[in-house]
Amino acid sequence: MRRKGVAFYVKESLVWAAFLLIAIFVLFPILWGLRTSLTPRFDNGFIPAKLTLEHYSAIFSRPEVWRYFGNSLIISFGTILIVLPVSLLAAYAIARFKFKGSQFSIVFLILPLLPAIALLVPLIAYMNFLHLYNTFIAVVLVNVVFSMPFAIWMLKNFILANPIGIEEAALIDGCSRIRMLVQIAVPMMTPGIVSVAVYIFIGAWNNYMYSFALSTSPLRRVLPQAILGFLGAWGANWGGLNAIGILAMIPPVFFFLLFQKWFVAGLFGQQLK
Amino acid sequence: MRYRVGKVTLPYLYLLSATILLVGLLVLPFISGIAMSLQSMKLSGEVKWVGLGNFLMLFRESRFATDVRNSLFYILGNILLSTPFAYGAALLISSKFKQAFVFRGIFLLPWIIAPVVSTVLFRTMVDPAMGPVAKMLSTMAGKQIIILSNANLALITVIVHSFWRSFPFIMLFLAAGMASIPDELYESAVVDGANGWKRFIHITVPLTSNQLGLSLLMVTIWTLHDAETIYAFTQGGPGYSTETLAVRLFKMSFINFDLNMGSTIGVILILISLVFMFFYLKLSIGKDMEK
Repeated sequence: MRRKGVAFYVKESLVWAAFLLIAIFVLFPILWGLRTSLTPRFDNGFIPAKLTLEHYSAIFSRPEVWRYFGNSLIISFGTILIVLPVSLLAAYAIARFKFKGSQFSIVFLILPLLPAIALLVPLIAYMNFLHLYNTFIAVVLVNVVFSMPFAIWMLKNFILANPIGIEEAALIDGCSRIRMLVQIAVPMMTPGIVSVAVYIFIGAWNNYMYSFALSTSPLRRVLPQAILGFLGAWGANWGGLNAIGILAMIPPVFFFLLFQKWFVAGLFGQQLK
Repeated sequence: MRYRVGKVTLPYLYLLSATILLVGLLVLPFISGIAMSLQSMKLSGEVKWVGLGNFLMLFRESRFATDVRNSLFYILGNILLSTPFAYGAALLISSKFKQAFVFRGIFLLPWIIAPVVSTVLFRTMVDPAMGPVAKMLSTMAGKQIIILSNANLALITVIVHSFWRSFPFIMLFLAAGMASIPDELYESAVVDGANGWKRFIHITVPLTSNQLGLSLLMVTIWTLHDAETIYAFTQGGPGYSTETLAVRLFKMSFINFDLNMGSTIGVILILISLVFMFFYLKLSIGKDMEK
């Protein structure tokens, strides 16, 4: 066995230093936000003299904050509930059927690159016309449309990765097409479906633009939209703003950390597990 | 016979709901957006066709020129900062280090935090009274510096914030590319006496150029379309010094409710995006062919 030389340790510590430098760059804003949310208002020290939960309790004492959380949950899960079945069917057709026009499926790859913000302007007029302005349905529908093309593209890749033999065997045994999809194909691609759901959730939870454009009622605000409002109204109350920011961060970070492996592999290919 | 009919119509049936949603809420608005950019609405609510009048009005403004310039700086600044950083981070998380997986999770955090939340985090850091970055700058300059009241510093701040948010995405794309490079290539390069830097330049960079191209195109498009971040950060100010095309669109349409001018900028954004989308499609089709 060769002994590890000086060069090895130098290299090792350089790599560690690089990891830590990037980690500090990434984490410093988050940790500083956490620190600010836990520090009394006028404590300016780099390391706070004392910690407090007053900013969090101030936030939870506002009944409307619970409503904003609820609204965000309704919109995010509403979006997932519509996008998943619709995209699954479309993706299955593209992946497994030969039909006229199937070569146009590449459209689903580039549609999400259209500027959502530009299409929102006419959508305001549309939703008004359909009497959907100021409703959750409008915001959910817009979330659906802008996350669906990508969901279809991802699900298509997962379906193609399923062994086709099992699907064919089920069909030969007299299983109906739709039952085969739900009971055979879907269970084989749980990681794929979960990573698509997490992707949709993060996108819908973090977005304030759709709701900002499509509803004016304060009761229908989603959480990020409410934070934007607080940014304007609370001035330099950074303790309160960071507290609600940290709270808003929890759901996407939680789902992301829980499903990181599937999520990353689903988006960027199986090599990255 | 019945089976054949079923087989022919089934794929279209599967695609029906997705198509209705996309046509109804994406294609049709796209068309009416173009129509709205050619119209103007009087205070009385009367709609009038003005041809390219809205566009000409914009092109004559100095504010529009500022918007274009800021969009350009916002995109270029973001990409120039993100690319080398993302390469470094991608090399690290692709290394055979045991802890690489944990660090990858940490490095990805900025990408999954809401724009408005990361804006709160960054605005806290540049707050003139409390922010560590503001204090550091003021100490270095020897006088009080209010970052977001200074046109150049405000623009640099929103660019750095955007860089913080977008490098993880490019990093993951590059790491995916690096994972598909066979180890033997590096091994034979070592035998030939190539050092680490040479291996990076002659093997890693060319073999990840496709991933770099795709991820940079996506980040370019996102940055071009991004109004949420800058609007929350500075609302385009001070003055118009951080107002990009997308922010202008946001303010015009959703705050001033001038939907015709909003659509006009929207059409300009769409036209610029189409160029990038074309290259994106070309690159990704090329990638599919290789497989």
